[in-house]
This record gives sequence, C-alpha cells and structure tokens, in this order.
Amino acid sequence: MGGETGKSFGLGCDPVVGSLSSSRKREYRVTNRLQEGKRPLYAIVFNFIDSRYFNVFATVGGNRVTVYQCLEGGVIAVLQSYVDEDKDESFYTVSWACNVDGIPYAVAGGINGVIRVIDAGNEKIHKSFVGHGDSVNEIRTQTLKPSLVISASKDESVRLWNVHTGICILIFAGAGGHRNEVLSVDFHPSDIYRIASCGMDNTVKIWSMKEFWTYVEKSFTWTDLPSKFPTKYVQFPVYNASVHLNYVDCNRWLGDFILSKSVDNEIVLWEPKVKEQTPGEGVVDILQKYPVPECDIWFIKFSCDFHFNMVAVGNREGKIFIWELQSSPPVLIARLSHPQSKSPIRQTATSFDGSTILSCCEDGTIWRWDDVTN
Amino acid sequence: MVSKPTDSASKPRTQPGESANDAIGTLSFKINQLKKQIQAERVVYIKEKIQRNGKKLQCHMSGVMSAISTRGSSQTEGNRKIPILSSRIDHPLCKFNGFSSVSGDKDHNNQDALSATSIKIPCIERLPPYTSWIFLDRNQRMAEDQSVVGRRRIYYDQHGSEALICSDSEEELTEPEEEKHEFSEAEDRVLWMAFEEYGLNDEVLNIVSEFVGGTSLEIQERYKSIKEKNIGRLDQPSENSGQSESTIGICPEKSLSAALDSFDNLFCRRCLIFDCRLHGCSQPLIYPSEKQTVWSDPEGDRKPCSDQCYLQVKVVKCLSEDSNSCGAEQNKRTTIMEETDGVLASSIIEEPSNQSSLPFPSDVDCHGSLNLNVPILVSVEKRKVTDQSDTTHCDPKLPPDDSQNSCKKLKTISDDVVTVNSDSRKDINLCARDVLDKAVKHNSDKLIESSSTFHSDEPDKSIGDGPKDPTNKTEFKKLSNSMEGKVDGMISLSDWKPLEKELYLKGVEMFGRNSCLIARNLLSGLKTCMEVASYMHSGGVSMPHGSIIASSSIMEDKGKFDVECTDQEIPSRSRLLRKRGKTRKFKYSWKSAGHPSIWKRIADGKNQSCKQYTPCGFVQKAAKIGLEDAIVPRVNAEVDNAHALLQDGNVTQMSVGIAGCGDGSLGEPPRRGEGQCGNMRLLLRQQQRILLAKSDVAGWGAFLKNPVNKNDYLGEYTGELISHREADKRGKIYDRANSSFLFDLNDQASISHHLHFLLSCLAYVLDAYRKGDKLKFANHSSNPNCYAKVMLVAGDHRVGIFAKEHIDASEELFYDYRYGPDQAPPWARKPEGSKRDESTAPQGRAKKHQSH
Repeated sequence: MGGETGKSFGLGCDPVVGSLSSSRKREYRVTNRLQEGKRPLYAIVFNFIDSRYFNVFATVGGNRVTVYQCLEGGVIAVLQSYVDEDKDESFYTVSWACNVDGIPYAVAGGINGVIRVIDAGNEKIHKSFVGHGDSVNEIRTQTLKPSLVISASKDESVRLWNVHTGICILIFAGAGGHRNEVLSVDFHPSDIYRIASCGMDNTVKIWSMKEFWTYVEKSFTWTDLPSKFPTKYVQFPVYNASVHLNYVDCNRWLGDFILSKSVDNEIVLWEPKVKEQTPGEGVVDILQKYPVPECDIWFIKFSCDFHFNMVAVGNREGKIFIWELQSSPPVLIARLSHPQSKSPIRQTATSFDGSTILSCCEDGTIWRWDDVTN
Repeated sequence: MVSKPTDSASKPRTQPGESANDAIGTLSFKINQLKKQIQAERVVYIKEKIQRNGKKLQCHMSGVMSAISTRGSSQTEGNRKIPILSSRIDHPLCKFNGFSSVSGDKDHNNQDALSATSIKIPCIERLPPYTSWIFLDRNQRMAEDQSVVGRRRIYYDQHGSEALICSDSEEELTEPEEEKHEFSEAEDRVLWMAFEEYGLNDEVLNIVSEFVGGTSLEIQERYKSIKEKNIGRLDQPSENSGQSESTIGICPEKSLSAALDSFDNLFCRRCLIFDCRLHGCSQPLIYPSEKQTVWSDPEGDRKPCSDQCYLQVKVVKCLSEDSNSCGAEQNKRTTIMEETDGVLASSIIEEPSNQSSLPFPSDVDCHGSLNLNVPILVSVEKRKVTDQSDTTHCDPKLPPDDSQNSCKKLKTISDDVVTVNSDSRKDINLCARDVLDKAVKHNSDKLIESSSTFHSDEPDKSIGDGPKDPTNKTEFKKLSNSMEGKVDGMISLSDWKPLEKELYLKGVEMFGRNSCLIARNLLSGLKTCMEVASYMHSGGVSMPHGSIIASSSIMEDKGKFDVECTDQEIPSRSRLLRKRGKTRKFKYSWKSAGHPSIWKRIADGKNQSCKQYTPCGFVQKAAKIGLEDAIVPRVNAEVDNAHALLQDGNVTQMSVGIAGCGDGSLGEPPRRGEGQCGNMRLLLRQQQRILLAKSDVAGWGAFLKNPVNKNDYLGEYTGELISHREADKRGKIYDRANSSFLFDLNDQASISHHLHFLLSCLAYVLDAYRKGDKLKFANHSSNPNCYAKVMLVAGDHRVGIFAKEHIDASEELFYDYRYGPDQAPPWARKPEGSKRDESTAPQGRAKKHQSH
C-alpha cells in the first residue's frame, strides 16, 4: 500500500489508512479531451472566487495561459488565450484572483520568476511582478480577500502580493525559512493570517502574518510607486515540521488540518500541533492517509472541491484517484482511468460541486471527466 | 484511562507462587486487549476530530460562498462595466464538443487554430537568478538548526530528471545517535497497566517491550516517572497555593544578579545588543568596562534634590567644618570622579579607578587623589592598551625606564596576570604607605583583554610630579562623619532588601557617593536620598565588598577612594569630552582593535575562560606611553590557558591587521585619507555605498556609487560563520545546485555562492549564500579591482573589501577569489571525479519526470 512516511507510529498514534477498493459512490466518464499544445501543462484551476465563473477554468503550459469554460454535454469553450512573447517562459502555476471591484484576474508564474497578472476582464496584462529570484512554483489566492495572492518560488521564498495595487507586501524567507525550493503554498481557509508552505527541504511550515497585517492593509491604499512600499520579511514560521522524508510538492489546508503530499504514493492528512516548550518546532499528528498508487514523482498537485468534500489527484500513469476527504476511514470515491491517458497528470481541477474533474497532463492534454452517477 | 495512583498500593500483585507462564500469558493477552482498545479509541478519536473540523469548515465555507456570489453584483453596481470574460462566455473563441457518451476515443480536439486569436503578453526581462538572502550588517554565527551536516538533502538534475541525494559518505548517513524514544500516551497506558498489575520484573518487561517502543531501561524510567507524576498529582493542589504571589514586578528579595539575569545572559557586551547572533548568549559575564563617568557635581554646588535630601541635613551641619576642603575641592573642578568601591565579591579583582566610559586617548593623564585619611595624592596616569585580539593575555612588563624606588615591587613579572594584578594592587598600597606625603604618580598601563578572564593593570611608576595638597581630602569623609550622628538611627539598615542594596552599590559605581543621584535614578520609590545617604555612611555597606584586601588595611574608608582629576589634566580632558565622537575614533585607531574601552572585572563563580574568544599566542606591540613618550617594550603575551590553536599564518594576518594603524602614533589621531586604518573603518562601518545591479559580465554584480582611491575600504563582506565541516558540506551542496543548472552557470553563480572567506584563525568559514550583504554579489575576475583582507576588529575576525586600484563611480567590482593552495576547502579543489560516485541514492529519489 502507501509508502512509508518515514515515521513508525507509536502505539495509539497510527493514522487511519483509506482502502483502495473503490466504493463507486460516484461514477465519472471522460467527456472531453483536448490537446492544447505540445508542451506540458503544469496547472489547471477552476475559478472559485466568483460565482459567475464557477465553470470557468484556466490552464498554463509553456508560454501560454488559456481560459476555458465547461459547458453542458462535455463541451469545452475557449474563452481567452494569452501567450508570453518570451518563448522560453514556461508557466508552472496559475490562480484566479480579482481586484477590489471584482474584475477577474488570472495570475500566472513560471520559470522566469515573473508573476503575470492577466486582467481577464479586459483581456490585457494588468501587471507583472518582478522580484522572485527564480522560478515560481505555485500561486494561490486568498478567498476572503481575493486581491491577495501568495507565491512559492525556487528562490526559497514565499511572497505575498496585492494584485490590485501591484505591491509585494511580505516575504516569508530568511533565518527560519525554507532551505530549498518552495513548491507549494496555501492560505488557511478561515484564519486569514495563516499560510502553509512546503518544498524541497522536506518541511511544511506555517507562517503567520498577524503582526504584519497593517502592511497588508496599507497595501490596499498605497498610491506611491509599488517599489517604494516597505516590504517586510517574515523570517520565522510559527510552525515547522518534517512530515515527509522527501520533497513535499503540494499542501492544502483542510480546516485546521493540513493535507500534504510527497512522492510516497499517498496524501497525508495531519494536524499541526505546536509544542509548548519550543515554539516553532512542531509536532505532527498524522490522522489519515489517502493512498495514491504510482504517484512517486514530484510536481503532482491535487485539488479539492469548494466544500472540501473530496480530493482528486492524478498519478504518473495518467490515472486519477478521488477520495472522500472528510470521512473516516477515507473512502475512495472513484478511480478514473482511460486507455489513452498515460501521461503523468500534473494537476487536477475539481469543480465547485465535484461533478467535473479536469486533469492536465505532461503531454499537453486536458481531460474532462463528468459525474454520470445519475 | 491511566489507573489512579492509589491503585499502586492496593492492587494485588501476582502471587509469587503462580506459574510464570500463566502470568505472562494473561499479560500478553491483556496487553493485546488494551492495544486493541487503544486502536479503536484512536479511530474514534480521529473520526470525531475530522467531523468537528469538517463542521467548522462547512460553516466557514458557507460564509465564503455568500461573499463569492455577491462579487459580480457589487462589481456591476460600482463599475457598470461587464468584464470581457463574461461576454466571452456568450461568445467564446471556439468550442470543443465532448465525446459522445459512448465512444470517447475517436475524435481529438486540437487547439492549434487558437494561436491566431491569442493575446500577447509583452516580454519582461527576468532577473538574474538568486536565492533569497538576508542582509547582514555583521557576521553571524550559524544557528544550530541551519546546519546541513548529517542532513539528507536531495537534488535533482533538471535535464535528466534524476534526483540525487547529497550525502557524501556512509558515515554521514548513519544517524549520529539513536533518538530517545518518546512515549505516547497509549504506551504509557500499556506499561502502567502491565507493571501495576504484574509488578516490575524482567519477564513483564520483556513482554511490555514487545508492544512498546524504547529500550527496557527507558521503559523502566518511564514507569517511574509516570508513577511520580501520578503521585504528584495528588499533592499538587496544596503546592500550588503557595506560589502564586509575588512575581509581580521586581521582587526586592531577589538579588540584583537574578533580576538582571536576562540582561546578563542575553546582552552581548561586545556588540552592545541583545541576542547577539555572533557571540551568542550566556557569554561569560563581562562587566562593562565603561565605568560610567562618575557623575559628580562638585558637592558644594549641589542643590538638595528634594526635601528628603541628605543635603538638607548637611547644609546646616557641615558648613563651617567643611568649608576648607570644599573650597579646595571646587578649585579642582573635578570633572570626573571614580568610585572604586569594591562591588564584586572578594575573589574579584577590582580595577583601581578607571576614569570613564569614554574612550579617552591613552595619553590623557588622570591625576586622582586618593581619598584616604592619610592625606596623599596619587596621581594615576593610566593608559589603556586595548589588546588587539581582545583575547591576549598579557603579562605586563614594566617599561625599562621606570626608576622609582618606591615601586620596585611593581617590577615583579608574573605569568599569572591575575596575580600580577592583585600584586600590583598591593604594591600601590604599599607605595602609598611608603611615600605617605609624597606625591606618587602612577602611570598605569592597562592592557585590556576582552577575554574577560582578567585584565592586567600595570601600574608603572613615574613618581611625583604632582604637587599634592594635603588638604585635598574629599569632603566625603568629613561629611560622613558629620552626618552620621544625624541620620543614624533614622532608618535601620535591615530595611534594605537585597535588591536595594545591590542597586545602591551599582549606584555608587555609577554616580559616586552622590546619594541624590542614586536615590533618584536607581532607588526611586524605594528609598529616599536621606536613607541612601545614611546607608552610605553607615559603613556596613561596603564591607562585604572589600575585595581589595590589602587596601582595606590601609584605607580606612573601607577601601574606597575617589579619584579626582587635578587641574593639570583638565584641559586635555575637557577638550576630549567636547569631541566625544572624535575621541572615540582616535581611541580605536591607536590600537587597531579592541572594543571601546573595555576592561573587565571578573565575576566570581563565572566561567573563567571564555570560549568564544580565541586568545592568540603572540602579539607584539610597540606602544608609547603617553606623556613620557617612553617606549614600552614589546608586550609579549602568552596565554596559559589558551585553548585555541593558532596557525602561524593567522598571526601574520592579524599582525597585518594590527599594523598599519596605531603604530608609532598612539593616541594621535590618524591622519585621514592616508595610511588606511582598515579595521577602524570596519569597526565604524565607514563603508562605501555599494549598488546591486545586473552585472556587465554575468548575473548580478556589485557596483560602486562613488569613486574610490587605491586601498580604500569599500565595505565588509558579511555572512554566516560556519565550521569547516559545515563548509565542506555546504560547498558540496552549492556545487551540486549549480551543476544542476548548467545553463545558469556563470561566474556569478559559481563565485558569489562560493565566496567563503576562511577565517582560519577562528576555525570559521564565512558563508554569504543566504545571509550577507551586497558585496557577495561582486563577481570574480582574474584581473580584479578589489581585494579581500581578513582583519581583526574588536576581537572578531572580519573580511574587508578594499580597492586594489582607483575605481571610478558606478564601476563594477571584482575580486579574484582564488584560494590559496592550502586554504581551499576540499570541495573548492574541483573534485572532478568525486561527483559521480555520490549519486548513489539509497532511498526515495524523487523525479519530476517519468523515467523512460
């Protein structure tokens, strides 16, 4: 079954491991397949921050950012397509955001380290954030304040940006920061101050921006040049733990728990607990494991539906595993496979209610799976 | 549940007669049962936890949902502009029909047509790559948790998608030591149950250890600790009650040292900051050398500080009696007075009268009058020699020209500085006695060591130029006499809490015997001026502190004496006082290193040797003595307890640092602009403005804002101080990281990351990869315009970057970063062959791409 997380669990600390026998609670069928281009697609994401666009999604791959819409009957409509003039750009990540007026933005980043804020409401580039010293591996949006995005980079830093004003507000790096590429980052769903990040130093870190919140607020009213903003360094996380023994390439909050994934063929749900005596150094209570066979290469990211009922993750062989997240023990909702889907799935996108699963693959294809249970 | 502690007594143990097998059989069974129960409980626990968490999340998400669904509406109200994205929904660029529900395999949607309608994102030049780094204006010692030694690190090769584990040898792979087993709650339960019911014996232990982690020894210990805890739980309530009081504010019962604990432990006296990242905390206690200039308004000028002021008393009583001495005193215009009450415990060597906190140039004479009851004036001329290395222990040798008979004894040379010190101290006293009515002038040459373990005080003895005024007793003595009667009995000394007493002593140290200032600044709210004064004169105070045993026999006033400045030195001193800033510089410059006027006392009981200082073996200095211009022969310092090994090369390096400033011009301001006094600039951070910009060569580069001349100091190269072992490891990692990105490999990448400076004296390497300053971005060149030099600054080794030639404004900086053949750490020697064999990855190699 799942790989070992490196820890042997003491008596009474063992996690509940999900069984790989599918419950077939839901049945999904391929309804569309798209060859976007020749270059690998690294990210695919639904818009969860604006109910008008719940069926709109974006993909990135190569120097291209594309906006699609899922229509009835498996139809996928292309709404917008953006191409970076730099042919060497290779986007790794995209996230939906919007300005304070609710104009939708697609925020993308990649190997060049430049974050592109695309104004999808006006079909033009809104801003470009130059600052990261190396590739941007993931961008996420704060749902409560969708002008705030956070980016994880190979330069070992995590940065908080205001896409509305174009300000780099905070840099999470330094003495207590990551010691290798940061691969993934996520905002806490309810605690607006918290983020979790993980990366190639095998750690997961939780950061708090509570003390720096005035700067976040200031960023909304800043009228001077963005470069003059007093960007602050957050050097120490409030929590630091080695949950995995290898690269941690995706982490997401599930309430106050964290879902994270390494290259060990499983997703792990665990509770971060802070030791009283040594603040910062964390204890991990691993609660559940969601096995994902053949998922042992890094840069495979999973996705959840809006309500976090399920998680969908692809694997190296083009299969998708959908787990019921909040049942204990975990239930495998469905295992999706198709004879032509053989390429590693870099990321999945789960629609608002989980009825549609999208995947984007190394070979440049987009797959659409629809719930056909009824 | 853990069984109640009371069980332990009452529970019937297994009968000795019972067959061992039976007992063990039931034990295994019971443990298994318990285990199952524990696991079942765990499952329930997790389930509940997840449910609770889920509910909370659900509740929250519905809130988010409402925000999300109003997003469009608020926008249309405010802006009236419908996003193109919305209109695109009605008019998409194109549509791809899905598969028919049956046959999915046939059609293949292709998107190539799209490129025509794509919106261009204009090119933006990317930054040269860098890793996030922290600006450091001073070097830092590596924090423990930053070590890469013994840690597995995984690399991938972007082209080959091959992950490599970077740990060089088997030896490093093996975990240094078995971690101590941490018992989980469940394990506690198992072993508690087992031992409580079956007793603590080997058989039971064996069985238990099958179920519970940890060695049998650990298990036994754990059992004991649980037992204690359980028993303790019963007693707890009663214990708690006693404690809760106090702890509000300062507890006057605590000693001052306890109150100052965090100050003592966290304050770095070398950098004058808390939480020093270079020297660490809990440094051996070094008392601040700077005896603050004792505040001494001439007594006669003082106004009563309050109606509780002892002056109120004094004014009446002493007026006539003291007029003489007061007048004399005023003539003297004492500006600086030093109180050398022994403050420290008896083993402490008290420095006789250091005049001030200001770094006075060494050539200032300080003529002090000893406040003895035998009228005597001892002018002490002091020189402080700040030791270069801060670590040298120097045996004072006396200047050859000292001719004074009265001070023969001072010539004693001893290896042991401590004894020298105390000896010399005695000598002074003896001298004083000998020459009772003669003026004695001491030129005391102080060698200051930051090592904190001792200072040497070298009184050398030019005698008697100062005409001394027998009437020049301080008024204190008399005052005290006159006052004592008055104030006596007003307050009983027993009212003084330990903290107050110690605060008082500090006050005496700071303000002299000025009760007004002491009361106001240190004991406000605790004691009035009058109380302080009466305490001061009641005598008992200084008793316990009569550290200077010899002197106490001579000086009646419990070993106290005030050093006052005589007229002679006032001109120079006051001038210096005026230009405080300047003098500071002068001071530093005359000896190239040394922390501003640090001399220290040793706290007894404190560590006598200071680990972080590396005493250097032989430092030679030529120094001129202030007025006489006498040449002090080389001070040859040898350290008995030097625990750091120094290489000869380093000494040379240090000497280089030392030379070039200060020699021959002690006490004189260095002429500006010429003769670079390099480490002074480092100390004062008088650096050039460095700009960071894209290099003309590759990657980032450092540029100069303003033109500089040859040998000008440009700035300090700062970074993390790491051990050689750490450096080797990191070097490999940096190499590895670079070699993974051959397309990035350029001078910048290979050089700046690797720019370690070897501070081999200290067995440290400077690594600027993640922490440093902009100079780390200077590129390598075989024809450089800068050079780096290791200098000793205030006891710390630092790397200064200097101009090798005239450099124009906004020119890029280069240094030749070449290792000397023997200086290069192993990894810098281009281990061509070694790279391959490290790639054996025993476990868990991660790949980004599928292997084909």
